[in-house]
Amino acid sequence: MHTVEIRNITKTFGDVIAVNDLSLNVPQGSIYGFIGPNGAGKTTTLRMIMSIFYPDSGTISVFGEQLHGACTDRIGYLPEERGLYRKMKVRELLQFYGELKNGLDVKQEVDRWLTKLDLSDWGDKKVDALSKGMSQKVQFIATVVSRPALIILDEPFTGLDPVNADLIRETVLELQSQGTTVIFSTHDMSVAERMCDFIFMIHRGRKVLDGTLGDIQGQYGSDTLRVRIEDGAPVLQKLEGVEKVANFGRLQELRLTRGYDPQQVLAAMMTRTRIASFEVAKPSLHDIFIRIARPETEEESHVESA
Amino acid sequence: MWKVLKLVRREYRASVKTKGFIIGLCLAPVIMSGSLIAMVLFRGKVDTADKRIAVVDRSGVAAEVVLASAETRNAEVVFDKVRGKKVKPAYHIEIAAPDDTDPAAQRLALSDRVRSRDLHAFVEIGPGVLAPQDDPDAARITYHAENAAIDEVRGWLSGQINGRLRYLRLTSAGVDESEVGEVLTWLPVESMGLASRDEDTGQVKEAQHSSEMEAVLVPIFTLFLMFLMVMMGAMPLLNAVMEEKTQRIAEVILGSVRPFQFMLGKILGGVAVSLTGLSVYAILGVIVASRMGFTDKIPLHTLPWIYAYAVLMIFMLGGVLAALGAVCNDAKDAQNLTFPAIIPIMIPMFLLVPIIEAPTSAFATGLSLFPPFTPMLMLLRMSAHPGIPLWQPWVGLLGVSLFAMLAVWAGGRIFRVAILMQGQPPKLGLLLRWAIRG
Repeated sequence: MHTVEIRNITKTFGDVIAVNDLSLNVPQGSIYGFIGPNGAGKTTTLRMIMSIFYPDSGTISVFGEQLHGACTDRIGYLPEERGLYRKMKVRELLQFYGELKNGLDVKQEVDRWLTKLDLSDWGDKKVDALSKGMSQKVQFIATVVSRPALIILDEPFTGLDPVNADLIRETVLELQSQGTTVIFSTHDMSVAERMCDFIFMIHRGRKVLDGTLGDIQGQYGSDTLRVRIEDGAPVLQKLEGVEKVANFGRLQELRLTRGYDPQQVLAAMMTRTRIASFEVAKPSLHDIFIRIARPETEEESHVESA
Repeated sequence: MWKVLKLVRREYRASVKTKGFIIGLCLAPVIMSGSLIAMVLFRGKVDTADKRIAVVDRSGVAAEVVLASAETRNAEVVFDKVRGKKVKPAYHIEIAAPDDTDPAAQRLALSDRVRSRDLHAFVEIGPGVLAPQDDPDAARITYHAENAAIDEVRGWLSGQINGRLRYLRLTSAGVDESEVGEVLTWLPVESMGLASRDEDTGQVKEAQHSSEMEAVLVPIFTLFLMFLMVMMGAMPLLNAVMEEKTQRIAEVILGSVRPFQFMLGKILGGVAVSLTGLSVYAILGVIVASRMGFTDKIPLHTLPWIYAYAVLMIFMLGGVLAALGAVCNDAKDAQNLTFPAIIPIMIPMFLLVPIIEAPTSAFATGLSLFPPFTPMLMLLRMSAHPGIPLWQPWVGLLGVSLFAMLAVWAGGRIFRVAILMQGQPPKLGLLLRWAIRG
């Protein structure tokens, strides 16, 4: 059973094709991560799932029904930028947003969430008085307070300190464990790797990746070497069999030419420097993202600082 | 529909539960009727400094009378006879012998004395004033002062000099001096309403005096009331929608409701705010009028029409303003679009006087049937004497209803497209395209 089924949707704005012939299935109870460069079509896709935009062609089904507005009552939506009435009190605002979804009384639920996210002392304060992180948490509560079966989070961790980011992350995982389907977009690849059951990448309006992290990494094979060396990245310049070197300071990540034996590269490195550690690995999501989003720069920069 | 009502409730509470609304409710009529109130408060607060006026009488027949009249006036009206307080300036007349050799030099000398505050003004009476038909140039009477056109002394002098001249003309024509007073008696034409028949007794009821309040103040009050309703309920929509768009609140709301529901909620919120204000003013107006004994002067029959037209006008303008708010990207855009948006309420304000003077003219009727102007102009005509045929407000109501529906429909199409569009500057062509194509 899929919570969201997208079939061949296309959306244009004037001459710009924002989403091009996209199809996607989001299984019930899963966490589905949307990644992609800025302007790739992530937010447009999320807005179409929310029925805020309508596709020019193709269909979107949510909970097995094609969207005509009403299904959005079971979807919680956290937009990329915060949208809160600054002059309203936090508790009143959350009740308004919650009740606007399905008309049910959410007073108790609001209080529960304010306590859960350490905002109970701020319920009677105006939104104006909140910090950016607090506003983000209030926006998150507004998204989940109506107990939606599907929540869509557009960049949910932006502006949060590590403590609050962990709090929201744990809350999202808790909601998933209760059966809620979660779709979220992020630019943080490590979060996507750790949290998502499925990852979908859109680039220039087209789907370029879709599947589990293992499936996606499997498409690229074990073409990555992670090494720690004594003399740093400069000694890895123009190493035979290496397409690209990502320099993380204390760690270097090498992308091998397809079909090249890692042992040969190791032997070549040992002639130039001492090796502290050596690991043959699948490419990280970050690396895959870069390979898709910036393929042209590979030619320009052999050693790249990450 | 319940979602729209939730939005209406929030809009209404956000507007009404503020100090600004209460203060605005109290201050708006004060500001709007500020000039009238100022006139009442400052009535009689005149400059009581004495005024010296030189009279150059080339006819030789009027100066002495002006001097005598001024002394009589000074004795009678300058001081309040009960309190003994000076309430008006005394006029001191200085008779200046005419300089026939160089009159221009004499005018310059007198003008310099006015400039140096030695004189308030001087008046020059032509030599031929007794026979103005023979030589109009010689019959001129000129008044020279720094603010001659609006100086009340000029009016007083005109009355005294012309009274003397008419007296002299009549006596020289052979009218007996004892009869001149009656000949010159001026009778005012009283303004009266129409006689009617009492439906209970069948007797004819005499016409009542037609007061300025009925003729002018009631229509002006009605027009201002509509203006206030629009300012209270419709105008804030432009900025409110613009803020919701720029602060990304619209995107959150649109996650729960459709764009048209969102817009409708905002317009109905504006209607509710306006009706609250209207009811407060209507109730207070009736209470104040009944306390002051003016109940019969208030055209209560127009009250339901005011409510109906206020609701339709806010729908009509609200649809347009919400759409304009949706296309704005910042406060500057909103500022630029405010002026064209308020044309339907400004033009009726400019047409106030000609329409009160002739409310049943073809000009007034035609304009009041043009839907954007109908709410304000039809009510203005209805509250002005002698009133208008009953079919006209009904036809106007139908026209405004259709136009309001069109405005909300077109506004909704623009709103839907523009509310999430960032960075697109508002252009007329774009608005029309969105309104037509959606």
